[in-house]
Amino acid sequence: MEGTLFNIFAGLAVLSALLVVANPFNRNPVTSALFLVTTMISISGLFVLLGAYFLAAVQILVYAGAVMVLFLFVIMLLDLREGARRKLNLVSLAMGLMAVGALFLVYKSSIDQTYGSEAPSHEAVADAGQAEAKPVKAVGSTRALGQALFSPDNGFILPFEIVSVLLLVAMVGVILLSRKEPR
Amino acid sequence: MGDQLHFVQLEMMVAALGLCVLLGDLFLPMTARRALGWIAAGALGLVFLLSFRESYTGLANGEAFGGIFRLDELALFFKRFFLLAGIFVLVFAVDFAERLRGGVSEYLAFILFALSGMMFAASANDFSLLFVSIELITVTFYILVSFQRHRMQSLEAGVKYLILGAVSSAFLVYGIALVFGEAGSLKFDDLRDAHAELLESNVFLFGMLFVFAGLAFKISAFPFQVWAPDVYQGAPTPTTTFLAVGSKAAGFVLLIRLFGSVVPELTAQWTGLLIAVAALTILYGNLCALPQRNLKRLLAYSGIANAGYLLMGIVAQSGEGTAAILYYLAGYLFTLVAAFMIIHLVTREGEGEDIARIAGLSQRSPCLAFALVLCAVSLAGIPPLAGFFGKFLLVKSVAAEAFGNAGYFALLAVAVFGVVVSIYYYFGIIRAMYWPGETPDESPVAVAWPTRVALGLCVAAILYLGLLPDKPMNWANTAANIEKRSSAEAADPRR
Repeated sequence: MEGTLFNIFAGLAVLSALLVVANPFNRNPVTSALFLVTTMISISGLFVLLGAYFLAAVQILVYAGAVMVLFLFVIMLLDLREGARRKLNLVSLAMGLMAVGALFLVYKSSIDQTYGSEAPSHEAVADAGQAEAKPVKAVGSTRALGQALFSPDNGFILPFEIVSVLLLVAMVGVILLSRKEPR
Repeated sequence: MGDQLHFVQLEMMVAALGLCVLLGDLFLPMTARRALGWIAAGALGLVFLLSFRESYTGLANGEAFGGIFRLDELALFFKRFFLLAGIFVLVFAVDFAERLRGGVSEYLAFILFALSGMMFAASANDFSLLFVSIELITVTFYILVSFQRHRMQSLEAGVKYLILGAVSSAFLVYGIALVFGEAGSLKFDDLRDAHAELLESNVFLFGMLFVFAGLAFKISAFPFQVWAPDVYQGAPTPTTTFLAVGSKAAGFVLLIRLFGSVVPELTAQWTGLLIAVAALTILYGNLCALPQRNLKRLLAYSGIANAGYLLMGIVAQSGEGTAAILYYLAGYLFTLVAAFMIIHLVTREGEGEDIARIAGLSQRSPCLAFALVLCAVSLAGIPPLAGFFGKFLLVKSVAAEAFGNAGYFALLAVAVFGVVVSIYYYFGIIRAMYWPGETPDESPVAVAWPTRVALGLCVAAILYLGLLPDKPMNWANTAANIEKRSSAEAADPRR
């Protein structure tokens, strides 16, 4: 069951991610943005399978919801008609595919060498999953996540606070770069 | 919790100072903005002095936040290094203010935020802190690079840095994910304990390769150097200085910590790769610098070459190599600050930094010309200046390990070849100043007194690091030796 669901979500995520950047039928940026929504939702499905329910909910709320609305706003405000007419560049597509293929081969061979080349059967994966089901779910729950982020003992509070400075910088920077020319 | 905050007091002060500058802008009149920059530089000077306080240095070799944040001699050295760089860049930025056209106090505040990110990076003992502090530095630099919105070049540089920086961050985070997947922990201490098993795993190696690629982007090492020339040329000059000195040093402190002390066995395994990267970086930087006419672009290529020289210290895999990196970076800081300041002063009016703009500088301002000569000579690595001694130490550290390894000798040959090539283009700068074809402008260059003081300090430091290397050598050794001891501790089975 979990294996099938994983295959569905993973396949959907990869397919729709491909359609975001290289859709052979439709070059309209709005279509790309909507395929991005599909990608986000599939990924949140993967999070559910991993037991990270909070992350899955946040993924849908923040990425598929808020961020995508913002994307659509920007696309529609800027009215990118020229982007719609642009053809796929075959040379760069081929180069990109080659680079990704090479990377994939290296990654695959490194996984094969580490874990052996036979893929474990779905039953074995499910058994292993059941054996470790409890701790995994404890890691992904909202409570566990909150404790991991904010408890002073394990220290993730420090990177968390630095991220707040980072967000401040990004916000002030965007306002600076996009405001009207002074004087 | 309260004890842990003692460890991050310097970083908190710097970040709070950045907030104060942002807020101060609201209450101060336009004319007081300059004073804001000098006050901020003064406050940074105070933070610099506080870093020598007994109650702070007494914390050395301690860890806080569950081992995420490590305060050792290496971190202390780099924190002071970044603070010094920050002070110089702030003074520089105040001098540069009129060319920014607005947003001066935000510019100053952003320098401070980037500085706090660098100081966090100096103590990063965990991949999460590493990534977050690197991102704080990089995101701040996206804005600092494109700050001169009225200049097309600055915007173009900003966009290029944004896209390539995002790609490198993707590399970094992908690598971290693979390492985490294999090790089950982000903490450097855990990785150090488990390194024997981890080195067997190719997925871990693959992840570390991606992490190395992400960091190589920050130090502009081959083949991740393509962004450097355009960004250095297009960015406002104080940003270029901070990018060349601070961002590069942040990349190096992380490389030293990760490859020098966490997984030294991996570094030994990858010696060939590191030698190739260092040699190609040296060759690329020096050969591409030859035809350059734009001074900032020239220094960008020279910066790439210097990243190659600094990588030699990583290749050496010894305490001497680390100490040599620290020494070289210190000399590089003062040299680059002085060089970029002079380039800014001379090309203040008008567009572009073509080498013809400094023609006849020896007639216009003999002092500036002399200081720029010192910078060029130090960068070229000619005795008795800081650059020479740094290069000497780097070469020596590699040579000490070289016996029985042909790769090391090849790297040494490339380094010496690079130095010879670099003399040609650095002397092009000197020739333009002292033996110009024609001098378009005869008026002397006006220099404000804080800039004068900063330049004087830089020149003094270049001479000091070159002529009296004993004391700074000791500091570098202290900072590097702790590093060696901690890796020895890791090898100790009792731990």
